[in-house]
Amino acid sequence: MNHFLQVLFDGLLNGLVYALVAAGLSMIWGVMDVINFAHGEFLMVGMYVSYWIGFFLDVDPLFSWIASGAFLFIMGAATYRLIIRNSLGKSAMAPLLATFGLSMVLKNFCMNRFTPNFRLLSGTVLEGKTISVGGAILSVPQLATAAFALVLLACLYWMLKRTRLGWAIQATAMDSEAAELMGIRTENIYLLVFGIGGACVGITGGLMTSYLAVYPEVGSLFSLIAFVVVALGGFGSIPGALLAAIIIGLVESFTGFYVAAVVKYAAVFAVYLAVILIRPKGLFGW
Amino acid sequence: MLRKIAFTVVLCVLGALLLTGVAVAEDKVIKIGALFPLTGPSAVSGQNCLNSVLAAAELINGAYEGFDVPLAATEGLLGGYKVEIIKADHQGKPDVAKSEAERLYNQEGVFAVIGSYNSAATKPASAVAERAKKLFLCGASSSAALTEREYKYFFRHAPTDAIEATEFTDYITYLNEKKGAGIKTLGLIYENTEFGKHAADEGKKAAAKIGLEVVADVPFNNGATNLSSEVQTLKAANPDAVFGAALGGDYSLWVRTMKQVNWLPKIAINFCTGYQNPAVQKELAGDGDYFMGGMSFSPELAKEFMPEALKVQEKFYFPLANQEFDSDSLQEAVMLLVLGQAIEKAGELDTEKVREILATETFVSPLSLSGEVAFEPGGQNIKALSVITQIKDLKYNTIYPEKFKNAEPVYPMAPWDNR
Repeated sequence: MNHFLQVLFDGLLNGLVYALVAAGLSMIWGVMDVINFAHGEFLMVGMYVSYWIGFFLDVDPLFSWIASGAFLFIMGAATYRLIIRNSLGKSAMAPLLATFGLSMVLKNFCMNRFTPNFRLLSGTVLEGKTISVGGAILSVPQLATAAFALVLLACLYWMLKRTRLGWAIQATAMDSEAAELMGIRTENIYLLVFGIGGACVGITGGLMTSYLAVYPEVGSLFSLIAFVVVALGGFGSIPGALLAAIIIGLVESFTGFYVAAVVKYAAVFAVYLAVILIRPKGLFGW
Repeated sequence: MLRKIAFTVVLCVLGALLLTGVAVAEDKVIKIGALFPLTGPSAVSGQNCLNSVLAAAELINGAYEGFDVPLAATEGLLGGYKVEIIKADHQGKPDVAKSEAERLYNQEGVFAVIGSYNSAATKPASAVAERAKKLFLCGASSSAALTEREYKYFFRHAPTDAIEATEFTDYITYLNEKKGAGIKTLGLIYENTEFGKHAADEGKKAAAKIGLEVVADVPFNNGATNLSSEVQTLKAANPDAVFGAALGGDYSLWVRTMKQVNWLPKIAINFCTGYQNPAVQKELAGDGDYFMGGMSFSPELAKEFMPEALKVQEKFYFPLANQEFDSDSLQEAVMLLVLGQAIEKAGELDTEKVREILATETFVSPLSLSGEVAFEPGGQNIKALSVITQIKDLKYNTIYPEKFKNAEPVYPMAPWDNR
């Protein structure tokens, strides 16, 4: 029973982190129909921002996520203004290739400036802290990240459903020309969506430095999983991303423990394929 | 008019002579490929290996007094040839390693390639060399399968996983017999790659020989986002000893995850992994303490048995890498120095002659723990030696065998909440 609970909590905690990584990607994809291939590298940059702030200024990731979120908001908006906007409307492949190029630049820039070394923050407030729930041991840094994820996703959902900005984003996603005719400045919406997408992944990265090593390749597998989460949950759907991420976290965790650790990612992709075959729009697609 | 023609002819001749001179100068270079994972999950180790080869090349190319290392006192090879290192990145991918090896031999025209750290990359890259009848020298890749292919142009310095696994089980036998350790069960956690799988296979074979029961066999995908279920599987089986084969970031993730779930075996011994990398250990700080691993170099070991390695580290390696040698990277430098000696003995850049010398002669190697290097058919270094170390406060203390021992092992590992 202890093992079952432990595996369950591991899956939930990992799933919630995946949900926050995927939320920004989901918004960008859902609203603009743009696949941000540099999403994993955005996560990596967020982690580096938090790491260096922690390293030089001794600020704990519990607080430095604000800086990494803000930095990535600006970076996301700048990416839209300088790269995406110029590639939109040219060909479907143009933004995709542009963000792929950006991912290469970011990864190699960090490799060059910071070396490929693995960097772990030591002495953080939550380091090494655990709590026991029914015999299962939960890591407090991971729990904190998951809790932040839940709160942020709730805020994001509330913003999309209950605010004028959220309605404008949804309207732009449904029909950008009609939205523009209704007086919505779609250009600004796109800019904001890219910024929010960046901020989500920046905040996640900022928090993750409390328990995960930072290195230039750290975002690769997270970004792959984020793509699966978005496609499984439905493009642009925050509840979809949350549910899909939890499903993926649990599948990964239970398969890893009860079947074999080496097939856990294979199981994730198998579930994704099965759901997509039955429901191509994903669980909650717009 | 005649004057003009004569002037033009003289100018052309002078120009031609000048160009020939340049060509001659360019010819006084021996190109050696350095094929490592400079990006990707193993990039930390790959960069260290490359820096190590560059340090060895600098040592060969200049004339340095005060080093009791072959080729240090003379400038270059064969009376003035400089070694030029051509860098190549295989990203940890076997297919890229193969194509980069082809590029190095066919387009860059390298005389030999040194590499490639990941056994999975070394395998196809050295197959390219074998087909092309070109030399491939391998420092750190430890998969035993590499030297079981009976290749003629492949030479490897590192002890194989088979040698290390036997050493691990010898040590367990020693602990059981001399210290009453009562180690009866074994868990294995390893990356699901050529290296990891071979290391695990050799670990199982060695365990079977001493009657150690394997209760957990946990391969994982490298570059994982988490190792929760992997560590849970180990914890559920609760083996007395664990053999680990996890590189770089995966190693630190493994250690941190064990801390999260508050579990440790009695001993954890690592094949050539993130354990050996001082940069990884520095980041892990105290969490890395009490783990063990097979090594053929550590600064502590070198003080007594390999003093020249420390001098080379100080003068050539540290300025490039800003850190100490590690067991893996040092072996790549050794292979360049061995190749240099073979070229000197051959007296010319003839691949066949150099290969013959590599295959038959014994080389002085103050940068190796045994002090010598000699290869058996298939290319394995029969002088390869490694010891078992245990890390504490960022120091790799040698705990086995007795001959090299400089500290008593801390056994069982200190629990997480008592550090």
